Amino acid sequence: MSQSLVLVLLGGAVLRITVLSTTYVNYVKPAYRPILIAAGLIVLVLGIIGLAQEWRKPLLTAEPTNPLDADHAGLHPTGHDHAGFEHTEVAHTQAAHTQIAHTQVGDPRVGDRALSQAAAADHAGPETDAVNEHGHSHTRVPRVAWLLCLPVFAIFLIAPPALGAFAARSEEPPPRPPAPIDAYHPLSAPVNEMTLGEFVGRAWEDSKRTLTGKTVRLVGFVVPSTKRKDRWYVARMQISCCAADAVALKVAILGAAQPPENQWVEVTGTWVPPQSTKIPNGTVAPEVTATQVTLIPQPSEPYE
Amino acid sequence: MAPVMPWIFAVTVLLLIAGRFLLSPHLTAPALQTWATIFVAICVQALPFLVLGVTLSAAITAFVPPSFWTRALPRRPYVAVPVAGVAGAVLPGCECASVPVASGLMARGVTPAAALAFLLASPAINPVVIVATVVAFPGQPMMAVARFVASLAVSVLVGWFWLRFGRDDWLRITRRETASGSKWAAFYEAMRHDLLHAGGFLVIGGITAATLNVVVPRTWLTSVAGVPVLSVVVLALLAVLLSICSEADAFVVASLTAFSPTAKLAFLVMGPMVDLKLIALQIGTFGRAFAARFVPLTFTLAIVVSLAIGQVLL
Repeated sequence: MSQSLVLVLLGGAVLRITVLSTTYVNYVKPAYRPILIAAGLIVLVLGIIGLAQEWRKPLLTAEPTNPLDADHAGLHPTGHDHAGFEHTEVAHTQAAHTQIAHTQVGDPRVGDRALSQAAAADHAGPETDAVNEHGHSHTRVPRVAWLLCLPVFAIFLIAPPALGAFAARSEEPPPRPPAPIDAYHPLSAPVNEMTLGEFVGRAWEDSKRTLTGKTVRLVGFVVPSTKRKDRWYVARMQISCCAADAVALKVAILGAAQPPENQWVEVTGTWVPPQSTKIPNGTVAPEVTATQVTLIPQPSEPYE
Repeated sequence: MAPVMPWIFAVTVLLLIAGRFLLSPHLTAPALQTWATIFVAICVQALPFLVLGVTLSAAITAFVPPSFWTRALPRRPYVAVPVAGVAGAVLPGCECASVPVASGLMARGVTPAAALAFLLASPAINPVVIVATVVAFPGQPMMAVARFVASLAVSVLVGWFWLRFGRDDWLRITRRETASGSKWAAFYEAMRHDLLHAGGFLVIGGITAATLNVVVPRTWLTSVAGVPVLSVVVLALLAVLLSICSEADAFVVASLTAFSPTAKLAFLVMGPMVDLKLIALQIGTFGRAFAARFVPLTFTLAIVVSLAIGQVLL
């Protein structure tokens, strides 16, 4: 039964970050929203069906819900703090041995951490254990399922923000953008707003040098330079699927005081063509002399 | 039991809401947050594909009679393996979807070797992934071709190896009870079980991948980029560690400009077949004895085939 609870929590968490807020853009591409909502709904419905089924026939179809709990008792006899359940614990431990005997016990590494909270939830009473002992069903769910609580806890408790300066901290250069060479239109506006990806592409790949002498406006967050004092970086992460595949796009900003790390800024300035032609493109970040740096709030889509 | 559950549910939700306000302001270390973002991203990103995979797998278990597979696949297993590999092209998803589907196929009596060929080929050669590869390598269409050919070759070779040398007791196949209740009940039970099971192992993979993603600096990579065979092995290992979804890996490897096309091909072939997330899923689904043999075999063949195909096509 409590595994239905895990499904409800997981589905609820996914819907929480897609329907009730737009936090999901910190983790995946915005285009993922529909399939995330669909997946969240399916998971939620599975959990609710499970809860409803077990609610209606609590004793007949009750699954052996707590092999993990049993494991808890068996492996850490001193480790639990629910003093009020002592006689139940004994019943648990006995049931546990029976259960372990015909459970394909999975991975002993898993479970304990995620569970302390939810495991406490399973302490029902001796009569349920009696059912477990005899009426073991074939739909036994492995303890590893409890790990699904971890992303839920991470979403609610850590509330991970979009990747920032820590992820972009290394001094390695940004990747070359996969745009075809010379696909860039000429720049005509007095101030040209562009993404960091486009700027880096123009700076490195554009044989016509369309950036020369043009004023550009770039948006990103601040990353301090660890090596050189005369510059800091404006950076933005580029993702193609989820934050695990993020790569940092960085442009070095010269001639302006550094705002606080991770602060989102809008930088207006001009491109500084590389002094030396010996350094191949793609080994150091392109440079911009800033004329204006404005502090701005984080954009609604943090990634490019 | 039953009267207690709603209360437990309410208390858990309350604890989560309270923790949001009491705990979150203190969990702000940049390394922790970066780790958590990547961990949640891997889980969130994989969930729709996992749901798709377990839905298909449950549908195979509940609604497709076993006799269908004996008719659909060639009777001789050595022929069935490549057929199943090519059939992988029809499942549009990434690797998280293919593991439960392959397990469902085995449970319905498909030759394990054929199901394994399907498992390996599907996330690498389906149209979504091939299109993503073409987009990520503009002006280099041969990269997508090489990826298709090499991935299919590795899948079929692994399948044949398994057929010739594999033993049944290495592989844990979930035989499901089919008789009890209606087909919909069977569908529900299979889906629920697979989702909880595979989901849990996905979380293990996500934890490992996120940790390595944060801990391993990518700068050391560039130092080996010029060395011929070593660079291929290093990028293949990187694919294992990063565990990027097969629909996104082409974009990531395209940015590693210092490496040779063959090394990038090895990354693209390896990623959908062997990575930490997948290893966790495979251990969970097919057992440790299986993974201990299957993973090194696939890893070795993927590197050898990538080197060979890279020589010929790139």
